[in-house]
Amino acid sequence: MFISLFVAAVSLVLFWMAGFTLWWQMHAWRTPETLAATRFDAPTEASGLSFSLLLPARHEQLVLEHTIERLLESSHQDFEIIVIVGHDDPETAEVAERAARRDPGRVRVVVDTHEKKNKPRALNTALPQCRGDVVGVFDAEDQVHPELLAHVDHAFVSTGADVVQGGVQLINFHSSWYALRNCLEYFFWFRSRLHLHAAKGFIPLGGNTVFVRTDVLRAADGWDPDCLAEDCDLGVRLSSVGKKVVVAYDADMVTREETPGTLVSLLKQRTRWNQGFLQVYRKKDWKQLPTWRQRLLARYTLATPFLQAFTGVVIPLNVAVALFLDVPVGIAVITFLPLITAMVTFVFEIVGLHDFGTQYGLRVRLIHYLKLIVGGPFYQVLLAGAAIRAVWREHQGRNEWELTSHTGAHLPGAGNSIREDVLQ
Amino acid sequence: MTSLAPTPAPVTTTTTIPVQRDHRRPGGRPSGRLPHEPRPVVRFRRSRPDLALCAVLLTLILTVQGWNITRFPSLSDDEGTYLAQAWAVQQGHGLAHYTYWYDHPPLGWIQIAFLTWIPSLFSPDNMTVATMRFAMLAVSAASAVFLYVLARRLFLPRWASALAMVLFGLSPLSVVLQREIFLDNIAVMWMLLAFCLAASPNRHLWHHFAAGIAGAASVLSKETMLLVLPALLVTMWRHSHSDTRKYAVTGAVTACVLIGLAYPLYALLKNELLPGPGHVSLVDGITYQMSRPGSGSVFDTASGSHGVFQSWLYYDRVLPLGGLAGALLLLATLRWSITARALAGPALVVAILAVVASRPSGYLPAMYVIQALPFLALVLAGGAASIAHGVLRKGVDRERFRIPMPARWTVAVLLAVSAVAYVAPRWYDGNHDALTVDANRPYRQAAAWMKTQVADPANTRALVDDALWLDLVHAGYQPGDGAIWFYKADLDPAVTKTMPHGYRDLDYVVASPTVRRDAPDLPNVRAALEHSTPVATFGTGEDRIEIRKITGGVR
Repeated sequence: MFISLFVAAVSLVLFWMAGFTLWWQMHAWRTPETLAATRFDAPTEASGLSFSLLLPARHEQLVLEHTIERLLESSHQDFEIIVIVGHDDPETAEVAERAARRDPGRVRVVVDTHEKKNKPRALNTALPQCRGDVVGVFDAEDQVHPELLAHVDHAFVSTGADVVQGGVQLINFHSSWYALRNCLEYFFWFRSRLHLHAAKGFIPLGGNTVFVRTDVLRAADGWDPDCLAEDCDLGVRLSSVGKKVVVAYDADMVTREETPGTLVSLLKQRTRWNQGFLQVYRKKDWKQLPTWRQRLLARYTLATPFLQAFTGVVIPLNVAVALFLDVPVGIAVITFLPLITAMVTFVFEIVGLHDFGTQYGLRVRLIHYLKLIVGGPFYQVLLAGAAIRAVWREHQGRNEWELTSHTGAHLPGAGNSIREDVLQ
Repeated sequence: MTSLAPTPAPVTTTTTIPVQRDHRRPGGRPSGRLPHEPRPVVRFRRSRPDLALCAVLLTLILTVQGWNITRFPSLSDDEGTYLAQAWAVQQGHGLAHYTYWYDHPPLGWIQIAFLTWIPSLFSPDNMTVATMRFAMLAVSAASAVFLYVLARRLFLPRWASALAMVLFGLSPLSVVLQREIFLDNIAVMWMLLAFCLAASPNRHLWHHFAAGIAGAASVLSKETMLLVLPALLVTMWRHSHSDTRKYAVTGAVTACVLIGLAYPLYALLKNELLPGPGHVSLVDGITYQMSRPGSGSVFDTASGSHGVFQSWLYYDRVLPLGGLAGALLLLATLRWSITARALAGPALVVAILAVVASRPSGYLPAMYVIQALPFLALVLAGGAASIAHGVLRKGVDRERFRIPMPARWTVAVLLAVSAVAYVAPRWYDGNHDALTVDANRPYRQAAAWMKTQVADPANTRALVDDALWLDLVHAGYQPGDGAIWFYKADLDPAVTKTMPHGYRDLDYVVASPTVRRDAPDLPNVRAALEHSTPVATFGTGEDRIEIRKITGGVR
């Protein structure tokens, strides 16, 4: 009897959690009106904001030049690009300086002299130098659409937002089974879930294609130099004090990226994010949120990686209990509820993959759908592994940016990067 | 350093986050392809005229359906079966007091158990078929309101929606069938809810998802509703937006399938999915239902199906035949008529059910028409709306050959008056019977006799039909072995085992029309009838109920 009640209670909790996650994941497609509201409005007239675009680059001399050139193609009238390079990284600095010489009016170089280097420190170094009304962040390998700035400008002016988050999308779904799932994660996150967060007034921002009014950013003291998920942290701090965040996603205007090159680097990236989420949770800035519903959303969102790991383990266990232990039929049926939710999620993922293909004009084949289905449980294992690893590292007090210590310029080729999630 | 806490004033200006941009405001980007047809969205709960109209009609319908509900129509065996199984659920005996053998999915009588639960707590003895028919009024009421909402959501004008509700609730055929404790009535309620959700004006993903769940609940209440699901899909397809359709429709299908799978899952968990020695199984149950002897073609006047069909027409011709004509009209004018396109789903339901009913062989149950009733009403009202539109509006803007409005109105009024003149007397007669005739007097007398004239009910064994069974249980007979569903004496090994001497192990047989009808195929029941003498007879002729005492028994 006790086992039955316990199993039923666990099942109901899991069901409730999985149900909410699914509900939020599908936010953008609730109604045609919701979906339409997730897009950028077309800019009607030239408006007046100026932009400072921060471009931290570290050992990324191969891609940096192209990224700067593409940014300079932007149709917007008033922006500057600030490339941030490390004092110990002459190759990248040279590329940056070259670009600055070609277009001194719009490109500047800032040198980060911190002993321990990471992205928030680089960004903070450049913040005092920004002349624009709005600070935007991109990564060195980003492919930015020329019309993006004009749209962001319009979004700021027409909505009175303090922060505008544009879409970021991994594209290389065909590279590997985990790349497929990783792309889809981004799709659901930026296409859908993030809009819910913006509407609810609690939002962990993304790492790039994020734009903040310069005065707001300075008042917030910029980025947290010790946080592993400085982007998430910034969003949490700003939205917790009521800053207005607007999210917009247009398939033709997203910033395109690629998934980490290896499974190990994906695991490390995910570990860093999870650990970052954990740090943000422990910083408790989210406690300033005015309503308990928002605080609950914050708690839940920041704890998601760990809940995900937990559900991944418990759902199969639960089904096993239902099938092999002698519990009443009614209880056994209840134990299947989380599994049902998981299957609904699965189906929506398949539809999402189809939609992703349609939106980006990519050909999704049967094999990809099969990979998506078969890869699901394994990806769950990966996520659970990353979650456990994050808790372990946080417990050990190890909160340096992984790879920075042992992957440097001396390694040619693939590992040649400060950041593990970089395009090679 | 990075905390915002010490930062002064500006950060605390707004704590409420305004909603995102509204795409509908001028200058906003339209939501992809705009629908080509008008969408006059009806918000039922906020529309006073709709609420008032619906409330008035509902009162009327409930009065007509509720008045004399215990006495007409005569108690049916199936009602007894379902209510007895609902009683078993309430008593914690599982899904039935005899072995549940997957004859129908159990959700229907689980809901009956739920509906009658509180009344039966107050007065356990009233858990009998006649009394508990009142519970069906709740189902009728819900169905009627859903039908009205659905009609409005399918863009029918208010008067036509009211007409649909009246046709559905007051047709003598509906009044008779909706009074009875049939699973089909419950399934219809769920299916109407599913249609309402599928035609949700919000086009909300989770409304469509819920439509899938409601559709599954309908099928699990009565499996024949499977036939209606394609039409539900069509309705959902038409009412979803192209931008979100693939999520909405896939979600709904997934929900429907997953909930529907709960039934085989239940069987699997009980190890009764596949046939095997010594236990019942879902596959056996389905095999039985699929291989029921056919009742012939509806068009063959000598067949059982034809008889069933005539029995429907006996109560009302307007709704079945008019609705069929309405469906054909709508399907034929699909290309030109907006109303026809809006009602494509319900018209498809009628078409599917008509095609299945007119297949040459196969079993046509008397309740089959129940699942068609709301859709017949809807398409008939839709047809009327279509005709009214044609008469009053078509060509109004034309310059030449313009027909003056008074002439149009004259035609419209004439049509309406002649329709009412045709229908009113027929419905008056039909409903007059429903409101006044007492068809169940013999049943009540028989139940009273068995309660008062038998000395020791607890140790008496009697064969009864399902409709009387609960009365006997309340009178003190042992459920199952004392009060015995008559056909179990031949068909259920668990019961025959207790009757080693056949009919001699019994004391009474309550010979109702159902018992006499089925006895030829049931050796034990037949023997009991042959070796017994009537000790009390109630009613006369075909409908009489005899209480017969077994002669030469060993008890």
